[in-house]
Amino acid sequence: MDHGHILEIRDLTKRFGGVTAVNSCSLALAPRKIYGLIGPNGSGKTTLFNCITGLERRDHGEVYFKAERIDGLKPHQVARRGIGRTFQMIRVFPELSALENLLVVTAEPFEVAQRKALELLQFVTLDRLQKEYAGNLSYGQQKLLEFIRVLMSDAELILLDEPAAGVNRTLLNQLLAAITRLRDQGKTILIVEHDMKVVMGLCDTVFVLDNGEKIAEGPPAMIQADERVIEAYFGR
Amino acid sequence: MKRVAPAALVIGFLLLALYPLVASGYEIRFMLQLFMWVALAQSWNLISGLTGYVSFGHVAFFGTGAYAAAILVTSHGWHWAPASMMGGVAAVILALIIGYPCLRLKGPYFAIATLGLNEVVRALVSYFDSFTGGGSGISLPPIAATGQLYYAMGLAALAVTAAAYFIITSRIGLRFMTIREDEIAAEAMGIDTARYKLYAFLLSAFIPGVVGGFFAQDTGYIEPISVFPLLTTITMIVMVLFGGKGTIWGPVLGAVTLFVFQEMVWARFLYLHQILFGAIIVVVVLLMPKGILGMLQERYRLPRTI
Amino acid sequence: MSVSITAEMVGQVIISGLLAGALYSMVALGLALIFGVMRVINIAHGTFLMLGAYTTFWWSQLLGINPYLSLLVSMPLMFLLGMLLQRTLVTRVVDAPELSSLLLTFGISIALVNLAQLAFTSDLRSVEYLTGAWLVGPIAFSKSRVISFAFAVAITLFAFWFLQKTKLGKAIRATSQSSEVAMVCGINVQRIHLYSFGIASALAAAGGSLVAVMIAIQPEMGQVYTFKSFLVIVLGGAGNLPGALLGGMLLGLVEQLTSLFLTTQLSEAVAYVLLVLVLLLRPAGLLGGRST
Repeated sequence: MDHGHILEIRDLTKRFGGVTAVNSCSLALAPRKIYGLIGPNGSGKTTLFNCITGLERRDHGEVYFKAERIDGLKPHQVARRGIGRTFQMIRVFPELSALENLLVVTAEPFEVAQRKALELLQFVTLDRLQKEYAGNLSYGQQKLLEFIRVLMSDAELILLDEPAAGVNRTLLNQLLAAITRLRDQGKTILIVEHDMKVVMGLCDTVFVLDNGEKIAEGPPAMIQADERVIEAYFGR
Repeated sequence: MKRVAPAALVIGFLLLALYPLVASGYEIRFMLQLFMWVALAQSWNLISGLTGYVSFGHVAFFGTGAYAAAILVTSHGWHWAPASMMGGVAAVILALIIGYPCLRLKGPYFAIATLGLNEVVRALVSYFDSFTGGGSGISLPPIAATGQLYYAMGLAALAVTAAAYFIITSRIGLRFMTIREDEIAAEAMGIDTARYKLYAFLLSAFIPGVVGGFFAQDTGYIEPISVFPLLTTITMIVMVLFGGKGTIWGPVLGAVTLFVFQEMVWARFLYLHQILFGAIIVVVVLLMPKGILGMLQERYRLPRTI
Repeated sequence: MSVSITAEMVGQVIISGLLAGALYSMVALGLALIFGVMRVINIAHGTFLMLGAYTTFWWSQLLGINPYLSLLVSMPLMFLLGMLLQRTLVTRVVDAPELSSLLLTFGISIALVNLAQLAFTSDLRSVEYLTGAWLVGPIAFSKSRVISFAFAVAITLFAFWFLQKTKLGKAIRATSQSSEVAMVCGINVQRIHLYSFGIASALAAAGGSLVAVMIAIQPEMGQVYTFKSFLVIVLGGAGNLPGALLGGMLLGLVEQLTSLFLTTQLSEAVAYVLLVLVLLLRPAGLLGGRST
């Protein structure tokens, strides 16, 4: 096992009843890069996320984070070790204010936490809405909130589940710029996305899943030309 | 407003503290019971209002405390005040035994598990009659302690409301609330929801246990049906839902309003009274799920921490 | 406790367990239906059982004929009442968080139980019809239990046939799988909710009519059946209808077995411990099912 990898998944398998959602999947992430995870609907992408973060228990295989085994840990333990994630369906805390959504994530002293939270809110220009209930924010605003909530925890590995979904162009560009900046700051990011332009423009390396199996891996240009990928999406 | 509120509170406390000097026995007992309901409602709020894990068997803690205290007073000669504190401890132990396994369940399953809790504890208390006197109950030595009990109940109500205040205005309270809002997201953000749920549950059991002990001394006689009545749980729930769950003053508001109405109007008609409680629950759930205080918060954009 | 347990005693207990179990299964089937179709946890389920029992009581008081015939009245009556409650109240919390349906049905159950107290008083009632038992070898089959068992089995089998073979039954099953897909298929999901709640209430009422000849009738009698129905569903797996059958039988057996070793006072405590254990160890139920 390469100790340089920040995340390593070996032979991961997850079944739900008769359906194998993830089938002997193996991949490795080097730090300080942006990775994409693509594949047709139902190919197991979110399930893979859930297995990494401990939300689902894998049936077989191992997950290593910074050379430490993390499969089998509870979600909050995984989060504490430095992995943050967003969700496909936005999960902010509706009855808490935007500021409180951020404060609740960290155990740092209140002043420190509040300062960081305000900075992040300013970063995505939500600071004037800090006292607003998160449930009252618009879709795009909630999306941004969920995004900076992950940053609040200083996670080293950030898993983003469809960050571009339902987001307008301007906001999207903001997000993409933010993600690039995160990478430059030393974070590792893994993105599940359907928007091909986003993936191709942003990611250093792309993994392709189909029916729970990894069928391709490489830089975006190579993936675009890969026959198996094209077949997975269009053919059969 | 911020300047006035603490001053008003202090004046209010002073008035309440001096009340027994001027009031009749009946009036003192009235307030004593009111304090008890405030304490019970606020305790239920700590678990069900904040974390969203509804406890349908909460009176089991009250009854457990009553019995623990009564046994200590009658069989071991304890004074009722420390005995009641032990009643609180007994309730917390029960909460630990039940909570540790059951809080791992998702919200609705937990609620179902608590449905039977009260009946089971009552059955156990009846069964082990060598300790508890079974159906014959326990009689406590009568003391003229109404005045002291007034202050005791008042302190209990104050303590749990203060606890609610500190929790709701702090990050710990926020974490409790994330459990109610979205437990999966809370876990993903590094919050150990299992532990926080347990803390909330244990905390919510303590004061009912203590107050149960006070109650035992006040009424002088307890038996299984008198300290494990479903009506007590129902009343706690109605008070908190009506006043506003998850807030600091909502349970107090609900307790005061409904207790006063109860004493003046409905207690004479037991069944009608309960039908009305059932109806109130239905109406609140359908039309004002956040209770009176919640409605005011929305209408007048009041802060969350009231 | 040194009582020698004979084979006859065990046999007796198993028979009693199965006889009681069928009743539990039938009543729990109703609860499972409501949960499966609407994702509503109906704490008021037992009140329909209680009202069914009272229907049988008044039938027998006023008409004096075979109380089992009152099923023809109690089931349709509670079917209608169930639909009424669903239409006016429950339907508003179907899409709300589960907490809301819990509290709502809790409130409904309090209101109904106390209405019954007002209307019927809390005096214990009973219906005397069949007494005694048939003896087969050393084992006694209590007559009323056997007849109740027979009816419970018949009604449950009919319910299953209905769900498998009729158009409405299939629509109900489809909706409990996925209401979105059901809607796309042209199923009127609101109607399905209505009928499911009605059917479930009728099943509970049937349970009430059948126990009316065996136990004391009083307004709070339904609560323990609500709890036991939950236990059955948990045993069998939430949303798993055949599981409810197995769970009911299992509960009946466990109850009778424990009454052999412990007093019946503790049998409810045992049921409770069983519930907690199953919830902890096999939250998906013994047969597995869908989670909340």
